[in-house]
Amino acid sequence: MGEGDDDAADAARVVAGDLGAFEGIVRRWQGRLLALAWRFCRDRAAAEDMAQEAFVRAFRALATFRGDAAFSTWLTAIAVNTYRSRWRAAGPPLLSLDLAAALVSGPRALRGLQERERAEAVRRAVLSLPERYREAILVYYFEEKDVAEAARVLAVAEGTLKARLHRARALLKRRCAHLGPSAAGSGTEET
Amino acid sequence: MSPDEIDRILSSGDRIAPASGFTTAVMEGVRRQAAEPPPLGFPWSRFTVGAIACIVLAAAGTVVVLRSAVSLSGLLAPLAPLAAAGPAVGKAALAVLASLTLARLPRLLARP
Repeated sequence: MGEGDDDAADAARVVAGDLGAFEGIVRRWQGRLLALAWRFCRDRAAAEDMAQEAFVRAFRALATFRGDAAFSTWLTAIAVNTYRSRWRAAGPPLLSLDLAAALVSGPRALRGLQERERAEAVRRAVLSLPERYREAILVYYFEEKDVAEAARVLAVAEGTLKARLHRARALLKRRCAHLGPSAAGSGTEET
Repeated sequence: MSPDEIDRILSSGDRIAPASGFTTAVMEGVRRQAAEPPPLGFPWSRFTVGAIACIVLAAAGTVVVLRSAVSLSGLLAPLAPLAAAGPAVGKAALAVLASLTLARLPRLLARP
């Protein structure tokens, strides 16, 4: 029995009144929904809260799941809608960097820190994009660059998603210009 | 920063693991949700009856007016005094509009 079959069976049991069957769905998909929420807000507590809300919304909507799309697509689309609503209601997340751990031991750790800071700066830049571009980038990379799946989750045409990704990359490139070239990827510049 | 580097960073694994009590918390939320009464649905039947009644009344009124052959000038006769006072009404309306604009202006300017 595949994961999709498990989801369909659990969904049918929940709709029939067996609430406990929803726990199987939560256990199978909590990592994925939490990871996506984390990308949307980069705050653990907020991410758990958002993922929990997404599961509750999915529970409410479970009777509408007809199996036309894969369960993962259906659930991820609900999660994206939930996270979007949360963003609109609460505004952009407050971001922080936990640098203390990396500052403990010398230059090697500092280089690691710089790389981490750069990566964090890029992810912050993504969160600063306008909604349609932000979601395009977040979902596209979350779906491991699968344009078709990301388009289904966002309920847009593939061409629309590609156009948004193109525009988002251009904006990101401009917003990350101040970060300069990577220390790891520019060995010749250091010598 | 090159597009390739941005692509590499965004492609890299960036996940957090759920806390131990996450599933329990979600199931509590689900049980709470299940215990709540279902939301009231939109009263489509009443809305439909009301809409049909409005359409029927509007159509009937139109037919009555057309059949009674009342001239348009006759219908507008009660409005004649208002038309005579047109310039005065216009000035009053303009004054009210200007007052409202002046009252609203400081708030508009105070917005960031």
